[in-house]
Amino acid sequence: MSTSASPVDDLLAAADRQWRTLGVQRGDRLALGTDLRAELEAAQADGLAPAELLGADPAAFARRLAEEAGVERLPPRYGPILAAAFFGAVVALIVGFVLATGLHEAFVAAFDLPRSVHVPVWLAGGGFYAGVAAVTIAGSVFTVRVLLRDAPRIRHTTTRMALLLPPAVAAAVAAAVAFGNALDYPLTPFAIGAEVAIVLVGFLATTVLARRWSITSGGTAEAGGRP
Amino acid sequence: MYRMIAVDDAAERQAQLLRGSLDMCLLALLAAEPAHGYELVRRLDTAGFGAVSYGTVYPLITRLHRLGLVANALEPSPTGPPRKVYRLTDTGHERLSAWREQWIQFAGVVNATLDVKGTSA
Repeated sequence: MSTSASPVDDLLAAADRQWRTLGVQRGDRLALGTDLRAELEAAQADGLAPAELLGADPAAFARRLAEEAGVERLPPRYGPILAAAFFGAVVALIVGFVLATGLHEAFVAAFDLPRSVHVPVWLAGGGFYAGVAAVTIAGSVFTVRVLLRDAPRIRHTTTRMALLLPPAVAAAVAAAVAFGNALDYPLTPFAIGAEVAIVLVGFLATTVLARRWSITSGGTAEAGGRP
Repeated sequence: MYRMIAVDDAAERQAQLLRGSLDMCLLALLAAEPAHGYELVRRLDTAGFGAVSYGTVYPLITRLHRLGLVANALEPSPTGPPRKVYRLTDTGHERLSAWREQWIQFAGVVNATLDVKGTSA
């Protein structure tokens, strides 16, 4: 339900929604909206109904206007990016686990540490799982880069994923461990599911953030064709 | 039923013809006299194009502005906020001349072709 004060506000809100869907940059949306508001308010003052001016489909009007204005469009494509990131992460997680296990066994067989050397369990475990996590993140980023190579600004997105995912996944894992610790690490479906969900939500939210960052920064070319 | 199809077909045909020539006609109307957006809609109607919507004209004016063929200036209105009035730029005048020549030549070829078909039918 609309709470806008005027028909002009309603139309501009509908147009802005369409421009967002099309991936029109914020600066361009603002400029297109300002110009359109001035036109519609002037027409309204002359006794013309703004809704009649734009026709029955303001979204189609907004789409046409964005096309004719030649504004840069960067559709977010969150769905395909999340799907590719998730798929790549799952495959890489399996590969990483097999790889880390294999390397661990190979090193144990090849090297015999002297008894004086004590490797803390947390360090060994941390190294193992950090290796698996690194392969998982790398696989996810690589998959997004390859599968969505034609998406605009995908290189920026994967660069930001590579930057943001390691600390975010580390934080999510820490949160999952804290959650498990609070419950005394029960091996119930609920506890394990919740821990997986915490890490997964952290991973996916960070991927969305990386994409959002890449399409909202540096791509704010002015809409040269605004009337 | 047949009549409805014929009317739809004629409207669709009219829309197709308009699509290829509306930008040129807008330039011509603005060359005659600067105007604001919905005034152009009225002028198109008066010129005989029928009801061309503002939703068609405004995006087109946006393109012409992007191409540097029209410029705009805010002018005070007696009825409300200032209105954006469009006028042709020098580039717009040059482009209109070129498009006009091209159109006349093209229309001549089309007319000649139609005349030949008409006499042989």
